[in-house]
Amino acid sequence: MDKLERLLNLAAALLDADRAMTADELRDRIGGYPESKASFRRAFERDKDDLRAMGLPISVEPVAGTDPPLDGYRMRRADYSGAEIRLEPDELAALHLATNLVRLDGAASGLIKLGAGGGDAAEEVGYVPFNDALAVMIAAAADRKAVTFIYNDVVRTVEPWRLSFSRGHWYLSGWDRTRDDDRLYRVDRISGTVELGDDAQHEIGSIDDPTDLRGWELGDGDAIRARVRVDAVQAAHARHLLGAVEEEASGSVIAEIDVRNPEAFRSFVLSFLDHAEVLEPPELRASMIDWLESFA
Amino acid sequence: MSAKLTARDRMTRLLAVIPWVVEEDGASLDDVAARFDYPRDQLVADLTEVVLFVGVHPFTPDSLIEVDITDDRVQIRYADWFNQPLRLTAEEGARLLTAGRSVLSIGGDADNDTAEIDSAGFDDEEASPLLRALTKLGMALGASADSAVDVRLGDAPEATLETLRRAVGEGTQVELDYYTYGRDELTTRIVDPARVFSDHGNWYLHGYCHRANAERVFRVDRIRDARPSATPITHTIETSGGLFTPGGDEPRVHMHLPADASWVVEQYPTESAEARSDGSIDVVMAVTATPWLERLLLRLGPTASILESSEAVPEDLVSAAAQRVLARYTA
Repeated sequence: MDKLERLLNLAAALLDADRAMTADELRDRIGGYPESKASFRRAFERDKDDLRAMGLPISVEPVAGTDPPLDGYRMRRADYSGAEIRLEPDELAALHLATNLVRLDGAASGLIKLGAGGGDAAEEVGYVPFNDALAVMIAAAADRKAVTFIYNDVVRTVEPWRLSFSRGHWYLSGWDRTRDDDRLYRVDRISGTVELGDDAQHEIGSIDDPTDLRGWELGDGDAIRARVRVDAVQAAHARHLLGAVEEEASGSVIAEIDVRNPEAFRSFVLSFLDHAEVLEPPELRASMIDWLESFA
Repeated sequence: MSAKLTARDRMTRLLAVIPWVVEEDGASLDDVAARFDYPRDQLVADLTEVVLFVGVHPFTPDSLIEVDITDDRVQIRYADWFNQPLRLTAEEGARLLTAGRSVLSIGGDADNDTAEIDSAGFDDEEASPLLRALTKLGMALGASADSAVDVRLGDAPEATLETLRRAVGEGTQVELDYYTYGRDELTTRIVDPARVFSDHGNWYLHGYCHRANAERVFRVDRIRDARPSATPITHTIETSGGLFTPGGDEPRVHMHLPADASWVVEQYPTESAEARSDGSIDVVMAVTATPWLERLLLRLGPTASILESSEAVPEDLVSAAAQRVLARYTA
């Protein structure tokens, strides 16, 4: 039997069941599986994985009247169909085009379920790194759910507000239940999987837009106001990176920078090589001098 | 048309095709093939050789799906299990939302000549089909979907991007004042622009540079000024190429990095990277210009070191750079 036919029959049997069915019951009802017990189990597990990967919501529950209890499987209609999204042809085409213009890492978008096929091929204009953890967090932010993950070796439970992609990095902003405060995280520093939790309790708040935050602003400490001089030859570059700067008669500029992460600040100033100088405060200036002297 | 579809691809499509055909009370095969990106021959084969045999125990005629194809129209009946479309998972929805929001973030200026972006409708957000699609998608995903994701494809000035996209569209040259970060120098050059694209949060221009007489990729945020011209381009290039890939000619540097500098291997193209037992790493990288290497080593600190020096990369490269910067503080 064709694999596609077996998968469709398995899905129909699971949807048709009014109670959880054991693997053996399903085999007897569907047919098309190998005879030997071991090969059947392998094929059945693969089929289940395939259906789940397509987004079919197979639930596992103990089968009534079995002792010891056996795993049973079924799919509820309500879980299968979910909220209806009815798109007009021009809306489908626009969404289809968007998925062609901007490529995301990883799995397909699932757009085919809404029925957007073909269309004109468009040259990609952007590539954005993406992964399953991000998808889970975006879905949680949309539906106001908490998530749990490990960040800097600490387990944290966070109510996500927004996932922002800026300057090549994804940031999560939200309410950190573990710390009872709002927080901003670099998503690439989250390790392991992201688990979906219960409903969010805290209102969506405002947090510094991470798209305007730089490495030296990401830290737990209090901000220190630093003044940096950048030479005329790099002034335009500094202005582009930092926005408002104060211009001096020679063409050089003075930038005021709020520093929460001194190491990131040092790296930033060094990116101008000998075209920039930390003027104030004295402790940041002294620490730059110490750093440079350590190379001698 | 599409590459050969896997059993999973075909099933995902069929679970969308069946409810649509049922809802429409029959549809033309051509419409189904186009709407669901389903090669017509494969579609017909799957409907007549597979779907026709799908049903539930005991698989008597009354417990099977009925498929009828007459005059290029398909009717599907008794497919009760599959009459509703399969839900979009939350993760799939999040992907679509992200792709859609990314496209919305491109530009905002009214007249944009990049036709394909125009037809996605971002320049008229009020009525754009993309925005309407994202609103509907958002409603299915949750009450806060509108604020859940924000994508900035790059930080380059909109006016520069506009000039470049227009020049690509019209096939005309541009004159760029370009700051080469790696070499720390500002130059002016004529470029035949081929493509503007975003990668990892930066906008790039790929084109033929008349100063280098070769293809080059420019970071748009380092273009100080872009002046359009009426001169048609003289070189067309294939734009499928990626970002910086070291050629054979650049000198190589062999370095030893401390364990906490493993991000270097992830962020820069390295020719080889080998971890030692203490977690520190030996890497070989191509060096296109020394200021780039000076910045990297100044940032890493004295625990990173050059293992093999050469004419291009002297042993005292970083200490000399540190002295040069230090002179500003001690003068």
